[in-house]
Amino acid sequence: MENVKIKSKNLNVYYGEKQALFDVNLDLNEKEVTALIGPSGCGKSTFIRCINRMNDVIDICKVSGNIEIDGVEINDKNLDVVSLRERVGMVFQKPNPFPKSIYDNISYGPKIHGKGETKSELDEIVENSLKKAALWEEVKDRLDEPGTGLSGGQQQRLCIARAISVNPEVILMDEPCSALDPIATAKIEELIDELKKTYTIVIVTHSMAQAVRVSQKTGFFHLGKLIEVGKTEKIFKNPDNKMTQDYITGRFG
Amino acid sequence: MTKEQRLKKRHNAEKRFRFYGLASIFFALLFVLILVHNIFSKGSSAFMKTAIKVEVYFDKDLLDLEPGASEEEILEADFFDITIESLLKVYPAKNLEEEDALIELFTTDAEIEIKKAFLNNKNLIDKKINLEITASDDIDQLHKGNYPRDIPEDRRRISNFQLEIYDALVENKTITKNFNNYFFKNGDSRDPEIAGIGGALVGSFYSILICLLLAFPVAVLASIYLEEFAPKNKITDFIEININNLAAVPSIVYGLLALQILLATIQLPRSTPLVAGITLALMTLPRIIIPCRASLKAVPPSIREGALAVGASKFQSVFHHVVPLALPGTLSGTIIGLAQALGETAPLILIGMVAFVVDIPSTPIDPSSSLPVQVYLWSESAERGFVEKTSATIMMLLSFLIVMNFLAVYLRQKFEKRWN
Repeated sequence: MENVKIKSKNLNVYYGEKQALFDVNLDLNEKEVTALIGPSGCGKSTFIRCINRMNDVIDICKVSGNIEIDGVEINDKNLDVVSLRERVGMVFQKPNPFPKSIYDNISYGPKIHGKGETKSELDEIVENSLKKAALWEEVKDRLDEPGTGLSGGQQQRLCIARAISVNPEVILMDEPCSALDPIATAKIEELIDELKKTYTIVIVTHSMAQAVRVSQKTGFFHLGKLIEVGKTEKIFKNPDNKMTQDYITGRFG
Repeated sequence: MTKEQRLKKRHNAEKRFRFYGLASIFFALLFVLILVHNIFSKGSSAFMKTAIKVEVYFDKDLLDLEPGASEEEILEADFFDITIESLLKVYPAKNLEEEDALIELFTTDAEIEIKKAFLNNKNLIDKKINLEITASDDIDQLHKGNYPRDIPEDRRRISNFQLEIYDALVENKTITKNFNNYFFKNGDSRDPEIAGIGGALVGSFYSILICLLLAFPVAVLASIYLEEFAPKNKITDFIEININNLAAVPSIVYGLLALQILLATIQLPRSTPLVAGITLALMTLPRIIIPCRASLKAVPPSIREGALAVGASKFQSVFHHVVPLALPGTLSGTIIGLAQALGETAPLILIGMVAFVVDIPSTPIDPSSSLPVQVYLWSESAERGFVEKTSATIMMLLSFLIVMNFLAVYLRQKFEKRWN
């Protein structure tokens, strides 16, 4: 049955004077893909950046309300963001591999968390992460080459492998395919399908088709408010809200 | 206006702009060439030194030394008499006046040169050797063709008799031109023929070393803190404005500050590379912080986010990822800052580095000169020998600056290329 992994309650986010999210209540199920759709600037990215407290980096950003992962409040000042981010990995819009070798890109996370004490353990983690990210076959002979030398799609899969390497429970994806061509996009989507067996995935996307293809649940945001959320099938076939209907049929956005 | 006319106007504007650009580059290059030519034509002869071959006889009685004399005895021994004896043998002089004129052809350090030769080979007692004794500044300049001989005798520094000797020496090839090791080895002197930049080189080296040791760590840590960790508020804005302003403060103000605080209040020894280094470090600090912060700022935020997202702490994301990427820019900024400090003259004059220092400093707390101050000192001297030495010192200073700037460019390119 469906287990709720992440639960947000009355989540409000402010950038200085400007409020970016209004009372968002959203449940995300374990080992499922949840897609967040909506026009630019509607707060979908802001929402997922709350789940791993990435908004902490932005000085003027203030978050109020609750987010629970497995029933534990994460919006707590005393919570260690380092261990939170170990549990909640993130993949960004633009591939951002470190300007280091492919191997170092993957082994960095495990190293700083003290996973993989020996070289052979690290080797194993790197190999497994790259295999899970469906990149192993393409790069196994050139692990010492720079990660920045790969193609865009490969770089994004490298970033996914990097996120996997610390063995998280949740992976957040912020428009992971927006900088990629259709073939690379297809590969990433295939990969997401595979990854949802192990991880809880939240993906922000601008492509309705992608949301339909990869997600089980979809949430529609507009102007910082969660307008509607439900099974992907239902949202795209028979939404309750007029605004959702208009957006998915391309009448605005 | 028709379409063709407008198009033509646009093309003309572009052509005019290209012409202005080319003309400016041409003028800039022209001035650089004039400068370089001027310095080279004046300075290159300073790297050669004129010497006169002299047969020296180490007479036992005149020296009052026994074979096997100890080093101390030799150092104490009087070489004046044999020096005069040897020098007078170069050309027949009829009277005391002519003898004086003959001795004047040689450097005042002739006695020391002979003593040094003897110290190198202590078995020379009662033996003859041929030595090349450095010529006086006047002969040196005459031999290099820098001194005119066709002006009346009473307005010439070299008498007719001396010219006669010089011509004879040229005739029988006893006058030579060698590499001028004194220029690099010796400290300053009142006599141009034996003056060198040795003391200034060592002084500049110590000053820059102290400047680097003080300014680099402080500047880099300050930049990292301000750029990566400090909250963005009014206080940090104020600090940033002040750093930018400090970089534009005239260097002489730092000299005044050092004079008041380091010399008058703390009573550090004046004219020393230690004080110079501290003063230059104060001056260089903001000039390193600015490029340092710029190169930290140039690291894309996505790298920081990538590191944070896998659970790196702020400290780890900065020191594992951002700082290594900013390092080439930081290093080249530092080197360019140091190059500016190397050429800085005004603050050093204020802290007393203009003092006439003959000895080469052995520690940073010995009185010393520095390269730019040496240029300043010599440029005020009347002797022709100092004119070429001034230009030669500028050549040395410029070559250090060029090497440092190339190093900065090289470091930046080498490390930035690695991943692209």
